[in-house]
Amino acid sequence: MASRRDFLKLTGACGLALGLPEELLARIAEVQDPLQAYPERAWEDFYRKEFAATRGDAVGYAFHCSNCQGNCAFHVFAKDGMVTREEQLAQYPQISPSIPDPNPRGCNKGTIHSQAMYEKDRLLYPLKRAGRRGSGKWKRISWDQAIGEIAEKTVETIARHGPAGVMLYVGTGILSQGRRAGPLRLGSLMGAIRLYPSSAVGDMFTGATLAYGIPNVGTSLDAWFEMDYIVLWSFNPNVTRIPDAHYLWEAKWRGAKIVVISPDYNPTAIHADRWIPIQPGSDSFLAMSLVHVVLAEKLYKEDFIREQTDLPFLVREDDGRLLRLADLRQGGRDDVFYCWDEATGKAAPMPGTRGHIRKSLRLGALKPALTGRFEVAGADGKPIPVTTVFEKVRAEAQKFSPEATQKHTGIHPGVVRQLAREYAAAHDPGLTIGFSLHKYAWGVLACWAQALFCALTGHDVVDTEHQWSLGGIGPLASPKPSRFSSGFLGEWFSGRMSETFRRHYPAKEFANRTGLTPDGLVQLAERSRADKWLANYGEPRVRILFADNMFRRNKSSEHYKKTVLDATELYVNVNFRMDSSAELADYVLPAISHYEGWDIRGEVGYHRYVNLTVPPKGLKPIGETKSEWEICRLLAERIEAAAGRRGLGRIPDPAFTVERDGKKEPLTRDLDTLHADFTMQGKLGNDKDVVKWLIENVPAFQPWKFEDAVERGFIVLNSNAGLTSPLYADKPYRSFEEQFYLKRPYPTLSGRQQFCIDQEVFAKLGCTVPTAREALHPSRFPLKYYSPHTRWGIHSTWRTSKYMLRLQRGVPHLNLNPADAAKRGIKDGDTVRVFNDVGEFRTMAKILPGVRPGTLMMDHAWEPHQFARRRGMDAPVAGLLSPLELAGGWGHLRFGAEWDGNQLAYESSVEVAKA
Amino acid sequence: MSKRQLAMVMDLNKCIGCQTCTTACKTQWTNRNGREYMYWNNVETHPGNGYPRKWQESGGGFDASGNLRPGRIPDMNQDYGAPFDLNYEQALNPLGQGTSGEPPQLAPARMPYWGANWDEDQGAGDYPNNYYFYLPRICNHCTNPACLAACPRQAIYKREQDGIVLIDQERCRGYQHCVAACPYKKVYYNPLFKRSEKCIFCYPRIEQGLPPACAQQCVGRIRFVGYLDDAAGPVHKLVTKWKVALPLHAELGTQPNVYYVPPLSPYRYDAEGTLTSERRIPDEYLVKLFGPRVPEVISLLEAERERKRRGEPSELMDLLIAYRHEEMFKLDAPSPSKPGGARLRVIPIVAVQDLERRLSERAIAAGGHAGGAA
Repeated sequence: MASRRDFLKLTGACGLALGLPEELLARIAEVQDPLQAYPERAWEDFYRKEFAATRGDAVGYAFHCSNCQGNCAFHVFAKDGMVTREEQLAQYPQISPSIPDPNPRGCNKGTIHSQAMYEKDRLLYPLKRAGRRGSGKWKRISWDQAIGEIAEKTVETIARHGPAGVMLYVGTGILSQGRRAGPLRLGSLMGAIRLYPSSAVGDMFTGATLAYGIPNVGTSLDAWFEMDYIVLWSFNPNVTRIPDAHYLWEAKWRGAKIVVISPDYNPTAIHADRWIPIQPGSDSFLAMSLVHVVLAEKLYKEDFIREQTDLPFLVREDDGRLLRLADLRQGGRDDVFYCWDEATGKAAPMPGTRGHIRKSLRLGALKPALTGRFEVAGADGKPIPVTTVFEKVRAEAQKFSPEATQKHTGIHPGVVRQLAREYAAAHDPGLTIGFSLHKYAWGVLACWAQALFCALTGHDVVDTEHQWSLGGIGPLASPKPSRFSSGFLGEWFSGRMSETFRRHYPAKEFANRTGLTPDGLVQLAERSRADKWLANYGEPRVRILFADNMFRRNKSSEHYKKTVLDATELYVNVNFRMDSSAELADYVLPAISHYEGWDIRGEVGYHRYVNLTVPPKGLKPIGETKSEWEICRLLAERIEAAAGRRGLGRIPDPAFTVERDGKKEPLTRDLDTLHADFTMQGKLGNDKDVVKWLIENVPAFQPWKFEDAVERGFIVLNSNAGLTSPLYADKPYRSFEEQFYLKRPYPTLSGRQQFCIDQEVFAKLGCTVPTAREALHPSRFPLKYYSPHTRWGIHSTWRTSKYMLRLQRGVPHLNLNPADAAKRGIKDGDTVRVFNDVGEFRTMAKILPGVRPGTLMMDHAWEPHQFARRRGMDAPVAGLLSPLELAGGWGHLRFGAEWDGNQLAYESSVEVAKA
Repeated sequence: MSKRQLAMVMDLNKCIGCQTCTTACKTQWTNRNGREYMYWNNVETHPGNGYPRKWQESGGGFDASGNLRPGRIPDMNQDYGAPFDLNYEQALNPLGQGTSGEPPQLAPARMPYWGANWDEDQGAGDYPNNYYFYLPRICNHCTNPACLAACPRQAIYKREQDGIVLIDQERCRGYQHCVAACPYKKVYYNPLFKRSEKCIFCYPRIEQGLPPACAQQCVGRIRFVGYLDDAAGPVHKLVTKWKVALPLHAELGTQPNVYYVPPLSPYRYDAEGTLTSERRIPDEYLVKLFGPRVPEVISLLEAERERKRRGEPSELMDLLIAYRHEEMFKLDAPSPSKPGGARLRVIPIVAVQDLERRLSERAIAAGGHAGGAA
């Protein structure tokens, strides 16, 4: 070993002198070799004391109610009434020795909330605007003044425009059952407009609804560990499902093959066996090619599709519609369908359809033909030529050989064939898709074709995001019918998105790709509203937003912001921090954040644990913040009072009716008893009461008691939580066991997995069976622009935390391929301008070899106020609708939580240049 | 020599780059007291410059004859990246104080030149054959620490009972020889306390039976902690028995006690776009980091994975799967002191009556999910 002196000499020799004075060196006392033993260790208490300080003097439980839906139990430590730190609880039980336990769920965001909750963007007092909207000029006011003025204006609006004049919306910033209940309950009692959040943010799995009647299907994510072949398509769980991703890589060590399909070489792809790079938006072509291979090579499982799908259903060759009883008999039902029974050589009604008397998929003696062309006698006696859905599907798939789709997807046919064959041959494969897919116009088709591929191979269903069915929450969150407005269509109309849509998509190119002119699409949206295919109640005058960053998340953001604010007379934002939407409000009300109030969360379906938030004892309130429940209670109280002063009591709301003594009467919105109704006659005084109520009333939470939950920080869902299968105590959850094994019908028109939909929009666009369509990126701008989820925020929450930003670049950045950058003279770190005919913004360029040439990829949800002139990354994203998602009024395509479309985000084109 | 050595194994095949370890460490130790710029635990993308920037080219460690090699002290702005604050108050005015003019955009008070994760996900190679992986790093608590050898105060020592390398905060005078001498650049100068600090393997936690924050809180479940000589522990099995965990830059002579299971990677494409059987991270790159045994380890991992796939037992795969989180750690410490006092009983999972009913109703067709009249 070199002596210290030698070392210093060497160090000095390379020009990195350490400035150590020689005389100091001479004073250093020699101690024995510290490698051997070190005597003076009392100082070690230094770090021990620091550790003890972070552990604090009080401990609580928490999760984060954000829209990652990860729902992870944490300990929260506090000292002297201030939160010091959080750490995952890591005490979830293992369900079976053969499945790794779920500990210690959590992520980088959850582990810094103890810091973010005290950050300088935190709202502490009610504020009232003191300049024009967005000017940053505020007046601090009292809660009393704020609530009073808001209540007054709300009542005035209801008096003038009825309940639909007010929007009371709780966005995806609070997705727990506890804290979300307050705004839901108040809005439901008042009949205020609310949106389906999944639709407004583009998270609806509409392709799954086409096939299964429900959008959220699949498995709890521990099921990955059981699978032997896992396809992750448009899904980046290493970034977006951080607490669950371990099951994938543990499955890999168990022997599972892992395939990732995505445009960019994302952080999930790096651990896959195979990464399949795909052209953005071309997924429907790949899916149809997989179907093509399975059909051409006869890799399908006949028994499964005969019973579990509508593929043996008869379809008319003349008009392409499914053959119905109404076709065969005057006045016959239109929800009874037929197969060709090979046993009898005749058409026979399939059991289990909506209109069939037998509610079972059991075929009994029926032998439905999958192939063939037949004739049946019509109601008028004339013969009707028919064939099977299977034949139609096969004919459609014929067009999409891997060779034919390569020009769209960029994937070599050999790679596609290998994927189809391996998937079909696997024992227990799984195909999981992410939220990115349906942010393309044809995500709906891609997902439908993926469902078909899974059905043909007999391997159950495409995995979207299965959700539990907790039950029992209705009386709390929706005591009266809620005024649901379509999410994506609501934003389309509110933001007049048709204007940026028309500007961005050239008529001819658009029509060639969709089969519909831009005018045709705009009219279809109007039609969908007029015919009530999708609900819309017009533009609210008052917007009271909880936990929704509306002016961050909407596309064509500059245009949207102006249009919506101009139409809004009162805009109230309830928030824990000053986000890009709060800063535009007329009133800002400061709310608690994740650790400061009581809460409970048992959704969605990634795992079976129900977490509690129990604030540490003695936690000091932050400023004048209040819980959402308390804010809503105050609003209820003051709205009731203001209504009383105006002589308003029970307001008829004829859009909804109730049955009274056998007669239908308009529902009333009872402003005269609003406070008592809100508090359930005083039973629900605060957020803790709400948590208690939920534990007592939600069947899936039984038999746990409030005290059990408070003691441990979590409880476990029971078997009733499963929607279409039981949630077994010792097995991961998988959808549709009731259909597979008990032969109960699916919630579709055919009662089966449905692959023929003859609704008129589908028929008009040639999409009655799964097919593929070209992505809509206008070719006049060279780069396809998309913005997937980030690991550095849950949408905009934590996006501006300094602890997150220090692990990035401090400012928003976009990612581009080195060749695209070089072509434009752009270097890493340069400021660039991203623009098209809709809008533009400035940002830092990062050169990323994993980005596909010809695309721009930017992690989403940067706050507009992080950009120059507050022009955010969604400024150049044009309005766009998927025409198929505007359909309705047919079979299982009826507006509601199961059927609503998506705000599309990934199909605009841009150019980028050095700024 | 210390009597025993605590060590850590990180399975890079399970690291998802989420940085939960980084933030766990940050709130445990380095969000205060002059440590704000430090990341005792960091995760960096490889190939890349890492953190501090170009640490692999900054010297330190020992040469072949055991002499300390000269080392460089990283620059606060250029190499660590100074920890910027943001203009929250000016840009957002959340307290509604008087303002004049347009609010500025929310941005760092001073634009950073570099940061702990600046080259995240960049890596090397050309699309679609580009490649990268994540490398989490803490202090290696070396058996022959260069920091210790370089310290003129003899303020650095290895704890006898567990081999944790510590800088005596009373004795240290902040000369920073250790900073230069550490070839991993895992010692940091604290400008507030004017002495050097580094990862302490969370000894205050270890002493209470708790794994280090980075390991306990790792949601990828990649980190194993235990004593190297404990034949029953996962660390010993991975390092000594199965020999799949390799030290980083062992050639620098410090005998590090953090070990890595090297990463597999997806197959490369040829010019036509068909898949080859060649993994995309070049062996040479991994060998440069983890030494010549990399190809042998990767073959063993693949062979054991194949065994497991066939349904045969594999102790190695079972270890790496880590069925129980708490079994990833074997600390031989007194019983863990969990917050809130005594350890709570594990919550049982309930099978309510309804499940029994539904189970008895169930008619399971043979062979998975295939249909057929049942």
